[in-house]
Amino acid sequence: MAGPMEQFEVRKIVDLPDFTIPGVGVIDMAFTNSTLAMTLAAAAIAGFFALATAKGEVVPGRLQMVGEAAFNYIDNLTTSIIGHEGRKFFPFIFTLFLFVLTMNILGMFLVFTATSQLAVTATLAAMTILLVLIVGFARNGANMYKLFVPAGVPWYMLILVTPIEFISFMLRPVTLALRLFGNMLGGHVAMKVFAGFVVSLGALAAGGGLGLLGIPGAMLSLGGVVALTALEFLVAFLQAFVFAVLACVYLNDVVNLGHHH
Amino acid sequence: MAPDNTSAPSADAHGHAPVGSTEVPGHHAESGGLPQFEFQYWGGQIVWLLVLFAILYVLFARVFVPRFRKVADARAETIAGALDDARRVQAEADAKAEAMKVEIDRARGEARRLVADAQAAAAEQLAGSQAAQDAELAKQIEAAETRIRSMRDGAMSNVKGIAADVASTMVEKLTGKPVTATEARAVQGNA
Repeated sequence: MAGPMEQFEVRKIVDLPDFTIPGVGVIDMAFTNSTLAMTLAAAAIAGFFALATAKGEVVPGRLQMVGEAAFNYIDNLTTSIIGHEGRKFFPFIFTLFLFVLTMNILGMFLVFTATSQLAVTATLAAMTILLVLIVGFARNGANMYKLFVPAGVPWYMLILVTPIEFISFMLRPVTLALRLFGNMLGGHVAMKVFAGFVVSLGALAAGGGLGLLGIPGAMLSLGGVVALTALEFLVAFLQAFVFAVLACVYLNDVVNLGHHH
Repeated sequence: MAPDNTSAPSADAHGHAPVGSTEVPGHHAESGGLPQFEFQYWGGQIVWLLVLFAILYVLFARVFVPRFRKVADARAETIAGALDDARRVQAEADAKAEAMKVEIDRARGEARRLVADAQAAAAEQLAGSQAAQDAELAKQIEAAETRIRSMRDGAMSNVKGIAADVASTMVEKLTGKPVTATEARAVQGNA
């Protein structure tokens, strides 16, 4: 029986030539099950939106309706959090949301979940924070320090508040990466463990005798798997949404630095 | 789960395989630690992810989002246009109703004027014919009165002659002398 961690193992499917980045080192560009999952997700997104936006009718068809629902959902999100300037960041937030969501959902159907790889979630988090830093410095320049110095706070409080704000800012990419990673990892491990119980208790029952006591346990575990699967679908959406919301919130901090709206 | 799975030594322990080797890495998981911390696959995953994300981002920024915006704009424009049309038609209808009202008022005034004219003409005609009739009647009355007056005058003059005759006859009878015409006339004047 495969262990609950086996589903997270990266395996090579097609070995591609290595790739050397100067100053970083040699990168194994092999096409793995992880990159396959990402590619499938990206292809699914691109394919779906290519079809959904192909006609661009004023009165939308079914596909276009779904695409527009997602579009409006995230558009409203960015505009409500960042304000009218949210439009500029909308493509990034939308891509981020859809990519994470599709990788999460694909993980529910395929054997591999790309977002349960820390490498993937850390890259997405690093990208988000890099964008926040670039936008922040480009817009505010040296005023970026205001991010750690809230307006209207007395100086003796600032001694305490500024380090806390600084640390919390520094931890943002870490929490962003670990939240998604931990949720997907934990959920899939739990599902696999419960599913493993069903098989092992069933095998015990097949042996007859006292082992028959395993049947109620196996049934309970099966119920657990069903419940967890439903929960994981919710988590798959929720974590993508949380990622997008936090990216918006972090962008808003630097876009509207100093003037809260 | 191994407690040291997040530490660098773990990464070193799994990083022994030369990068790019074709070895199947299945057994690493059994040696403890999360498979996610096998750093030999990090580089490839990161690069693939960045490439895929970049492709998706460009697709969305350049193709899909503008398409959605265009549709949304077209929809907003259509709705605004329809509203404008409706407003314009409404205004037109209002103007027509106003014009109609003015027309109706005018027609009503015209009708009122016509009725008043007709009444005035009828009254005038009535008054005219009445006056003519009155004049005719007055003329007839006048003629009758004239006739009556002449008849009376004629009768009166006859009575005078008769009275003179009677007087002269009476004088003749009483005095035996005939009365001269001059005397008779004098009597007449005293009578």
